[in-house]
Amino acid sequence: MKGIPWIAGALALAGVGAALLPPGKVRGLDLDGFGRIPVLERGRVKPMDSLARNSLLMIRGQQSFQHLGRTVGADEWLLDVMFRPDVAAEQQVFVIDAPEVLGLMDLQQQPSRYFALKTLAPHFEEIQRQASAARQVDSRERTRFQAAIVNLFERLYLYYRLQSTVQLPGTPGLAAEMESISTPEAARRQQALIDLAAFRPLPPLAGEARGEWRSVGEALRLGRAGAADPGLDVLARLASAYDANELDAFNGAVADFNALVASRSPESSRRASLERLFNRTQPFYAGMVVYVLALLALFVGWLWKRPILQPVAYGLLVAGSAIHTAGLVARILLQGRPPVTNLYSSAVFVGWAAVILGIVLERIYRNGFAAAVAAASGFTSLIVAHHLAGEGDTLEMMRAVLDSNFWLATHVVTITVGYAGTFLAGALAIAYAVRLHLFREPDPATTRSLVSMTYGVICFSLFFSFVGTVLGGIWADQSWGRFWGWDPKENGALLIVLWNAMILHARWGGYVREKGLMAMAIFGNVVTSLSWFGVNMLGVGLHSYGFMDGAFEVLAGFIVSQLVLVGLSLLPRRRAALTPRRQASRRLPSAGWTRI
Amino acid sequence: MRPLAARPEAVWHALTSLKLTLVCLALLMVLVVACTLAQVRLGTFAAVNAYVRSFLVWGQVPGTALRIPIFPGGGLVGLLLMLNLVAAQSKRLELSWRKSGLWAVHAGLILLFAGEFVTSGLQVETRLSIEEGQTVDFVESPRQMELVLTDVTDPAQDDVYGIPESLLVSSSRLDVKGTPVSLQVKGLREAAEISERAMYVEPTVDGRSYGTWRVSNALGPQSFTDAGRTWTLSMRPRREYLPYSLTLKRFRHDEYPGTDIPKSFSSLVQLRNAARGEERDVLISMNQPLRYEGRAFYQASFGKNDTLSVLQVVENPGWLLPYISCALVGMGLVMHFMFALFRSLKRAVS
Repeated sequence: MKGIPWIAGALALAGVGAALLPPGKVRGLDLDGFGRIPVLERGRVKPMDSLARNSLLMIRGQQSFQHLGRTVGADEWLLDVMFRPDVAAEQQVFVIDAPEVLGLMDLQQQPSRYFALKTLAPHFEEIQRQASAARQVDSRERTRFQAAIVNLFERLYLYYRLQSTVQLPGTPGLAAEMESISTPEAARRQQALIDLAAFRPLPPLAGEARGEWRSVGEALRLGRAGAADPGLDVLARLASAYDANELDAFNGAVADFNALVASRSPESSRRASLERLFNRTQPFYAGMVVYVLALLALFVGWLWKRPILQPVAYGLLVAGSAIHTAGLVARILLQGRPPVTNLYSSAVFVGWAAVILGIVLERIYRNGFAAAVAAASGFTSLIVAHHLAGEGDTLEMMRAVLDSNFWLATHVVTITVGYAGTFLAGALAIAYAVRLHLFREPDPATTRSLVSMTYGVICFSLFFSFVGTVLGGIWADQSWGRFWGWDPKENGALLIVLWNAMILHARWGGYVREKGLMAMAIFGNVVTSLSWFGVNMLGVGLHSYGFMDGAFEVLAGFIVSQLVLVGLSLLPRRRAALTPRRQASRRLPSAGWTRI
Repeated sequence: MRPLAARPEAVWHALTSLKLTLVCLALLMVLVVACTLAQVRLGTFAAVNAYVRSFLVWGQVPGTALRIPIFPGGGLVGLLLMLNLVAAQSKRLELSWRKSGLWAVHAGLILLFAGEFVTSGLQVETRLSIEEGQTVDFVESPRQMELVLTDVTDPAQDDVYGIPESLLVSSSRLDVKGTPVSLQVKGLREAAEISERAMYVEPTVDGRSYGTWRVSNALGPQSFTDAGRTWTLSMRPRREYLPYSLTLKRFRHDEYPGTDIPKSFSSLVQLRNAARGEERDVLISMNQPLRYEGRAFYQASFGKNDTLSVLQVVENPGWLLPYISCALVGMGLVMHFMFALFRSLKRAVS
């Protein structure tokens, strides 16, 4: 029996690890090699694969799509957009939900929300006219239609720029461009390529500074004067081979281009390959799946075969946390930064810290509750992170004010651990409340251990949120000249500290007992969600890099749900009202489970 | 029932009670939430003054101009919490090794509150705007203005007389010391923009009036001539001169290639202090302030096509208190929770 968690965990890891194997070719094309090519976009060197995924995510809301009965991945799509514009124009990649926008183009609402460029093409002028009118309105005051039309226009423009980065659509291509490099018309096209470039594919030449990547247009213009960048030649081969579907020539060009970048900027090549691997394995998605499996094993275990299923769940939880950790470490390596750098990564990290804390608690108490709560927290926070990633690149560059690894590593990490602790305490309290009403006669020993876990976690969170808040103050003192400015984000952190202090003092003074403590812990979720996300919606203060629009309804819904749970935790338990009588025989065994 | 004051033990009891702690913490939470929400409407400075740096929060009775206190302000709650903390500490907590963590926590908190009071009372925030190549030896107040009378008769040298805004009360008469000029303030004007300050002033010399002028920081200096001497009147942010000067050698504003995401801001300045015989270059950048003679200079803003650098200048004699407080509270919490954890683990094992 001792081996059960190990076996379960190892199986889960093996399942996820299978994704590490090199992928096969699609249509005989080395798409993996293409995806690994580093380019500079939005100030960051990233693999073509990330660029393709983020762009498709912005345009379609997904990282792949079905076309002619086959899944088209982001890399293949990007190749089509750049080198086979006619094929790409047939693919239904533009998601349009707003009926007014559809109506503008005389399109009916259809079962599919996705439209091809070809369908939108006749309406470009009207879209542009409406979008520029809507842009006059402040983004916060736009109507639904105005917001949707601006959004559509921006996506079309992104598509257009992607199309016009290596060669301009409607021209014979890059090879022809290089032959006519010094004609007057070529100069005009070179300027267009410079202005429209969505990314810069040509790494700095020997002796140039690290950030000096060039767009195709810039390299062509430089080539007018003297020797052209040899990378242009390879890109031209890549483009024409893809268009002509010459597989060997394409794969050869991809390999040559990767070799060229690796010789000029080996660091970029290494990072891009790691990031491509990270994109392919999607550790946070895999972790999410494993957490759900752990949760299912626990739920089933409470009704059936608990001695086997509970250790299985524990093994899965540990495997999930290992995958989660691997993802975090990969992000740290890719960015060269501490784990929390933006709202997205804070959600990933909150989940991670809650899971680790939950595993520690499970090791101490061994009754499955901490494991259940940890798995649920890990899953929920990764879902939240997934939705926060809608903006595209989650490894974006840091703004100047945040450019301090020391403070990111201390203040930001500590405060985020504080968030995680407060949420975990809230989640434990929810488990307590649900259990109180679901089971006919909850076993008092388990109840006691739930209460002491919650109490312990609140102490833990008070420590981290206090220290994190004060460290934030010290950072502010170092960079803005005042320790405490009553900025909304600072106030949010302070509220968490005050609330945790209130819970503990109320408990010490005997003003609340078991139920009161649990109700207060659940309300801690409300306080934390407000200070984590709520204050970002106010749109004031110095922490402007974390501002977010929308999601207000989601937050309000979450708060209402927590208030309902607070009420539930305070309701007196009605004997046998919620559970059928025969469940009495199935109630939790109090002996816990075998030690592992 | 006797009045409360006649029963000191009851007052003492109330002051040391944990209930008071909880009430204060709850009030503080309400104030923090209110202050945060009010920032959308009032801006940070006004919201903080209304809710946190005040003893009472005032509200207007609807339909009238009457203002009444509606809630205790941050100052009052903070003070009460501090008294409660000190009193409870001395009454309830025994001096024992077991409670040493809580002692450290509470001492640290008292220091933190004290620090916030010191800051709200003594911290002075000013600005220093400097263009490339320029040398500046004064800081400017971001909120207070001064009326400036300048004798510009001598082309080689200006004599400048600054009168702080706070002295310019409506319909008062001011003799500007060291000059024959006196100024009659005719009226203060609420300016159209927050950044604009304007007033009407009538300058007189030996009883000769030079008419009523509108003086504003949005207008340039305006001049009049009396007995061969030319004077100008203007309004500018209130200045304070430093015993040393800063020269901006270079301002840098870097962006990530191909984006407008700021990568870094920095000002290379030369610090010259004749009294100390000091002359050295200092690089001030984001997260890297210059601390010098009780003031700290931070990179705050920039302008004029990246040739103007704006430094935030802060004088806060209590700046060290939060650092000590943080160390005390952090250490105290670790100690206390470690003791508690060991006890509960011992229980769990037995």
